Amino acid sequence: MRALRVLWTAAARRNPAWAQLLGLCPLLAVSNTVANAAGLAVASAVVLVGSAASVAAVRSWIPVDVRLPCFVLVIATFTTLVNLAMEAYAFALHQRIALFVQIIVTNCMILGQVERVASKVPVGRAVLDALGAAAGFAAAILALGAARQFIALGFPLAAMPAGAFMIAGLLLAVANAVSTRSEQRQTHRDLQAPRPREP
Amino acid sequence: MRALRSVVALTLLAVGAGGALAWFAAFTSERARANRLAAEVRALRELAGADVAPATSGDLLLCEDGRVLLRGAGRGYGGPLRVAVAVQDGAVAGVRVLAHQETPGFADILAVEAPWLDSFKAGEVHAVTGATVTSNAVIATVRRLVERARRETCGR
Repeated sequence: MRALRVLWTAAARRNPAWAQLLGLCPLLAVSNTVANAAGLAVASAVVLVGSAASVAAVRSWIPVDVRLPCFVLVIATFTTLVNLAMEAYAFALHQRIALFVQIIVTNCMILGQVERVASKVPVGRAVLDALGAAAGFAAAILALGAARQFIALGFPLAAMPAGAFMIAGLLLAVANAVSTRSEQRQTHRDLQAPRPREP
Repeated sequence: MRALRSVVALTLLAVGAGGALAWFAAFTSERARANRLAAEVRALRELAGADVAPATSGDLLLCEDGRVLLRGAGRGYGGPLRVAVAVQDGAVAGVRVLAHQETPGFADILAVEAPWLDSFKAGEVHAVTGATVTSNAVIATVRRLVERARRETCGR
């Protein structure tokens, strides 16, 4: 139950794309089709979970002064591993999205996740949180990819970079509206609840 | 002492990362090379309309009754780019870019689906705005290959 809550918080309430606005470069660039979006979502998930697990495992040995170089080194290693694996086992996809797989290194979503969560908690919790964040990013990029591919059928602008910004903005507005609504409802419930009596 | 600890930690981590990468690169390199070769075979087959053995080291891949298939390298913006040209009776019948390291986005003109490579068949080719170096490199390479194809006697 608690595990589910960790996952949900990482995926939805702290969604990397819609709540923290991180990782938008690959989100906008590779979301022109669902297939490309899925490829990048999987690659990002592997890097995210792998880096989080590794950093959590050695977190007590990493001196605080050089923690950022250490994190970047770990993330770069996983990114390169994923890139090599794709070239060997998913060549067609690699041909299309290799550049964006390589720049996963600079994705602040992953550095943020490692710095904020994985460097402070045990491996299991770090993996769980990273899985949630990866799922949230996958949901965001797949939603954008599906919307763009569908709208581009009748409206080619959607497949172009300008269309990516417009549709991402609209999806962000929807995500904001939903989260504001649920927060208001929560506040409303809190006000309705009987106040604890003051001592 | 504190600085030394940082140096040691970072060095150990870098050695570990390097080792893991070296091992994995060696593990996947054979497959990756096979993939690149298969992609080239496919591109050449589409270009020639017949099976071509690209493993031969020469650049003259096919030479028969007025039909010549040549491959060559030019200097693009990001490094060497390799081009294959099919020539039929002295005219360009098709152009494919086999390998390149051009900036993504600007390299879109080199894709098979893009109309630019087809403009070689019409005989009138323009450099592409924003990708001048890339397109000029392809144009120069194709011109060189076509001139060589026209001189080619196919060993007769």
